[in-house]
Amino acid sequence: MKKPVDPGKIGQFESMRQPLDLQAAIKESNRCLLCFDAPCSTGCPAGTDPAKFIRQIKFYNYKGAARTIRNNNILGSVCAHICPAEKLCEKACSVKALEDPINIGGLQRFASEYGKTTAIEPLEKSLKNHGKIAVIGGGPAGISCASALAKLDYEVVIFEKESHAGGVPKWNIPEFRLPEEALAYDVKNLLDQGVEIRFKSAIETDDAVTNLLKDGYEAVFISSGLSVPFTLGLLDGFTNAMDYISFLRKVKYDRGSIILKGKNVAIIGGGSVAIDSALSAKAAGAGKVYLISLEHLNELPADQEEIYLARLMNIIFKAGSQITGVNVHEKIISGLTGIEIDWIDPGKFIPQNARPISGTEFKINVDLVVQAIGTKPGNEVLKFSQSLKTKGKGIVEVNDNFETGIPGVFAGGDVVNGGATVVQAVGEGKKAAQSIDHFIKNRRNSL
Amino acid sequence: MKTKADLSINFCGIKFDNPFCLSSSPVSNHAEMCARAFDAGWGGIVYKTLGLEKSFKVVMPSPRLSVLNYMDKRFVGLQNAEQITDQPIKDNIRDIAWLKKNYPNKVLISSIMGYTDEDWIELAKMSEDAGADMLELNFSCPQMAHPSAGHRTGQDFHAVATFTEVVKKATKLPVMAKMTPNITDMIPVALAAKDGGADAISAINTIKAITDIDINNFTPLPNIHGHSSATGFSGPSVKPVALRFVSDLYNSKPLQLPISAVGGIETWIDALHFLLLGATNLQVTTGILRYGYRIVEDMIEGLGDYMIERNIISLDEIIGKAAQKLTDPSNFETRYQVVSVIDEEKCIGCGQCFISCHDGANQAIKFDPAKRKASVDEERCVGCLLCKHVCPVWDCVSYKEVDTQVVKHAAIF
Repeated sequence: MKKPVDPGKIGQFESMRQPLDLQAAIKESNRCLLCFDAPCSTGCPAGTDPAKFIRQIKFYNYKGAARTIRNNNILGSVCAHICPAEKLCEKACSVKALEDPINIGGLQRFASEYGKTTAIEPLEKSLKNHGKIAVIGGGPAGISCASALAKLDYEVVIFEKESHAGGVPKWNIPEFRLPEEALAYDVKNLLDQGVEIRFKSAIETDDAVTNLLKDGYEAVFISSGLSVPFTLGLLDGFTNAMDYISFLRKVKYDRGSIILKGKNVAIIGGGSVAIDSALSAKAAGAGKVYLISLEHLNELPADQEEIYLARLMNIIFKAGSQITGVNVHEKIISGLTGIEIDWIDPGKFIPQNARPISGTEFKINVDLVVQAIGTKPGNEVLKFSQSLKTKGKGIVEVNDNFETGIPGVFAGGDVVNGGATVVQAVGEGKKAAQSIDHFIKNRRNSL
Repeated sequence: MKTKADLSINFCGIKFDNPFCLSSSPVSNHAEMCARAFDAGWGGIVYKTLGLEKSFKVVMPSPRLSVLNYMDKRFVGLQNAEQITDQPIKDNIRDIAWLKKNYPNKVLISSIMGYTDEDWIELAKMSEDAGADMLELNFSCPQMAHPSAGHRTGQDFHAVATFTEVVKKATKLPVMAKMTPNITDMIPVALAAKDGGADAISAINTIKAITDIDINNFTPLPNIHGHSSATGFSGPSVKPVALRFVSDLYNSKPLQLPISAVGGIETWIDALHFLLLGATNLQVTTGILRYGYRIVEDMIEGLGDYMIERNIISLDEIIGKAAQKLTDPSNFETRYQVVSVIDEEKCIGCGQCFISCHDGANQAIKFDPAKRKASVDEERCVGCLLCKHVCPVWDCVSYKEVDTQVVKHAAIF
């Protein structure tokens, strides 16, 4: 059983769902079948092993459950809040054949918070006797790779351009979905392992990666994420058209600088970040909030729960719609015009495939437009090394072992997968750490 | 920071990494299974009871299990008509030797059942020669198809003393006598085992019981080709009975033997209950039948955390701590009386406490139909706490002491 969302909490930027209490956790864990070769565990990209921590909760081994989560997924608390479990572990749950699947996300949060409030012992410190490794970017993939390497007794330094670690979860996920203390706990666990994080340390000089390898680092892991948002040409140059990255960050950490009370806001996009932007706008007091997407309601990339939340908060869906123009008043956007569409070629959700339906034209008055239509890596990636291969919108090319082709240089997370979930990034960071370990051991053996 | 608790115990001079053992049953049927149990973390194994096929050829009945369900909760108890091993003695002895060779630091206890003095001696010697660390004498299987074995022996003080004595004379191994609960008082039997030289007592074997009946053909289950029998009942349902017998053994002044507890252990909290009532060693079967060997991981980790949180260095510090609190009901302090307290904020208005108190206690719960809230009539409350036990909100009902010198209490008139 999932706890219901409290829309009032969204408005206060506080965790929108009550955690399961002990009795609820016991009850939920006792619905678990403790499957053989449990499909939930196979279904987790980060290898968090829900089957094990649910069993541990069932048998009153709560601290053990907290340890399982933390050992397998250094961002276990973050994932407990934001993981799209219904698409992963809960989708695979055997109980689904009989009744509602186990609320794995809720149990993960329960166990993780139990470990935190009972102050389980810190993770073991890296002995730092296996060599030094640089990680570029302290987001989910970087944190995960660093933690896994610290477990193997490497000395790990994370170069983080910001003043805090966490990447997307830190800056772009609203507090009502991810309370600040969940990430803070996970980062504390990382620091307990002896991982060093150098803040305000952007890596942006020419051939920086090559230089790191010359400076005594045996390997480099690139996890610099995606920092450049896509925008629509027809909105360029207007001060009241923003990208979601700046918008979400402003609403989260600098709410005073952006007045939303009573304003009409249009969000362009249909994914998770578009919904987060819409909910944030509404939570900050916006009047009408529109979500304009090419995809129709049943085609939205956002998951069912996010769509439900948007409905709960009275977000107005303009799904299956295209922006056709901008109304301008004194150099700022005062309105958007659009039209409903269908697809020329079904299933291809790209602007070129949209066919406007005449007679469905609409106009909405807006005070702010937020664009949430994707991101790409920043230009600094091209400077990391001249030999670094990129593809598409500038994402870094790697093989199955997260090797870039430059010996000793690995990459993972959004900069490689083009933008995916935190749990995916954690999985990639862990796998890359294994590859780095093999690489270093093989090189030593061949010397 | 290393935070590993030391769960090791010394039982009859033998060191166990942890007190958790498989009890003699299908979970310890052969070497391959036992090896996996050791790998999973179990501290010791009581091997499936050996017998001599030349004296009695065992054939298992089929089907031989039936379960007790409570509403939607399945497997709260298990009934079995299992016999001792049906494998040839030479295979079992080979398996025991193999296990001791490959797991020299784990404890292997050979459970044996004879029908004559000679059988007991032969089985004891074969076990010792194979390398077993200890013997458990099975005086307690409640459904042996042999007319003079199992719990029939266990109810006969003289047979228990005699068989224990012949085994003790035949080997140097420590000997543990396994008790049947199908008896009013276990102490005389345990004392008979002690007279015969037993070094420890294990309790309880299963309770003779009937779990289910097919109401269409009037046949109790398991339906063994048209017949059934009251046979061994085990699992979570028998734990309260097992706890009682273990505490009896521990509190017996003339007995003073170490105890290996068996009966409904599935979690570290179950295990702790038995330790607190006097057990040193713990055995499990039904929990493994239901969930597999893996449950020992949570027993070890959970009990270890309990010890670390309370700064308990050795399990010896807590063994028997709760047994000391048991007394005869004639000693209860009845000037101490309580009344229930219902937290109105937490009350969800279901009225279960009202119904139970109204029909099963002292009509001391008032129910406000408009507000849908229950409250306690302190003048009528006898402090039985039935309301607390039926309340679906775990922390809604509590209780407080009343000063019976000042306030009139319904339990005292």
